[in-house]
Amino acid sequence: MDASRFISSGLVEAYVSKLATPAETQELERGMVVYPEVAAAVDDCQHDMEQYVSLYAVKPPAYLRQQILSTVETEEEARHSNAYIEETIAEEIYTRPVRVHGIWRWTAAASIILLAGSVFLGYTFYNRYNDYKIRYENLLTQNNTLTANTDLYRTRMEEMSKSLHIMKDPAMKMIKMPGTQLFPDAMATVYWNASSKEVFVLVNNLPAPAADKQYQLWAIVDGKPVDMGMLEPGNATPELLQKMKSISAAEMFAITLEKKGGSATPTSDQMYVAGKAG
Amino acid sequence: MESAFNYTESELVQGLRAKDQKVFGYLYDRYSPALYGVALKVLNDEGNASDVLQEVFVKIWRNIDRYDDSKGRLFTWMLNITRNTAIDSLRSKAHKMDQKIQDIGDDVHLYTGNLTVHPSVDHLGLSKVLEKLTKEQRIIIDLAYYKGCTQEEISKVLEIPLGTVKTRMRNAIIQLRNLLKLV
Repeated sequence: MDASRFISSGLVEAYVSKLATPAETQELERGMVVYPEVAAAVDDCQHDMEQYVSLYAVKPPAYLRQQILSTVETEEEARHSNAYIEETIAEEIYTRPVRVHGIWRWTAAASIILLAGSVFLGYTFYNRYNDYKIRYENLLTQNNTLTANTDLYRTRMEEMSKSLHIMKDPAMKMIKMPGTQLFPDAMATVYWNASSKEVFVLVNNLPAPAADKQYQLWAIVDGKPVDMGMLEPGNATPELLQKMKSISAAEMFAITLEKKGGSATPTSDQMYVAGKAG
Repeated sequence: MESAFNYTESELVQGLRAKDQKVFGYLYDRYSPALYGVALKVLNDEGNASDVLQEVFVKIWRNIDRYDDSKGRLFTWMLNITRNTAIDSLRSKAHKMDQKIQDIGDDVHLYTGNLTVHPSVDHLGLSKVLEKLTKEQRIIIDLAYYKGCTQEEISKVLEIPLGTVKTRMRNAIIQLRNLLKLV
């Protein structure tokens, strides 16, 4: 392999991320000796990997510093006072063969068998425990998802029953607004409460507006358009009513597509739906 | 606990070879967070990570004569010791393969939620980098580096052909390198 093949083969990245097999590692290390540019590429990549790893740095618990420093200190003192050698001698004494007779031999054998048995049981139960732990965690996740879904449905239900309650009022007048010539498929409905003057709008079918556009409801009073408020974007659910501005008298209602936030006067060629209030 | 002055890497190595405990203290202050971070990420347990960190620093102290500066930087050497010690500890605790896979499974699970970063790891830099890596890019780097997974194991866990593991890793690291330039 030549230098550029080494660099483009992915071996460098596999090496620094420790993904490379021992054979691949050897191959790359040979390449690093032969080609300085391969060595430089590895060094560069190593540097980035280390920077990534360092991002995960966490200050270790404070007590560890003293513990580690004194371990090393003790080791140094021991080295200087030759305690190492004594330790080795002491070990040799204990490794001298000792003859054991009779009942103790059987006791030892029995305890080894018992120990092996309990290790085996411990191992089995540990595995079983792990298995249950995984299952329990899976159930927990499922349960959380279900709860979240239930909350979602409950909110929707509450919104829908609110809409239904508004529609049921006998003082409520329903004004259908069919699509204009330009947008024959469009359809929306205004609910106008004659006693409370409240106005609600329901989108039956309006195309989703572009991100910078928004639908605006207008009332026509004495031939002049009056702003009735903006339709909330994304509220395309035909079951939900949106409350708009109140008005006591109007001849017509209409919806136009305007820039986000609304306009002072309607853009007439962007009128999607309109309906007579009479 | 930052020391008042800085050592260069070769001064550090010299000091350690001379068994200078002050230099060792400095080494601890400067590098223990990065090394502890590695152990914590491998083992996911503060107690085990502390044990590993202690073992690592004792190994550094005892084996500094084996460090060869022509083969790489001191930090690289220490990171390798930490990673290997931590992964050995992980394996001795869970010698069974499926346990290892399960750990990976847990990890993969973590990645599916919001960016789950260890509570005490909360640099802006880290979340910035992690946000821009895809889930698969993060997992492939972490499985290899922090869990010691082989190419075969990664191909199984990520359900991708064995032949593409290295290519995916290359792309992940290239992406990582570009992001690090921005941090």
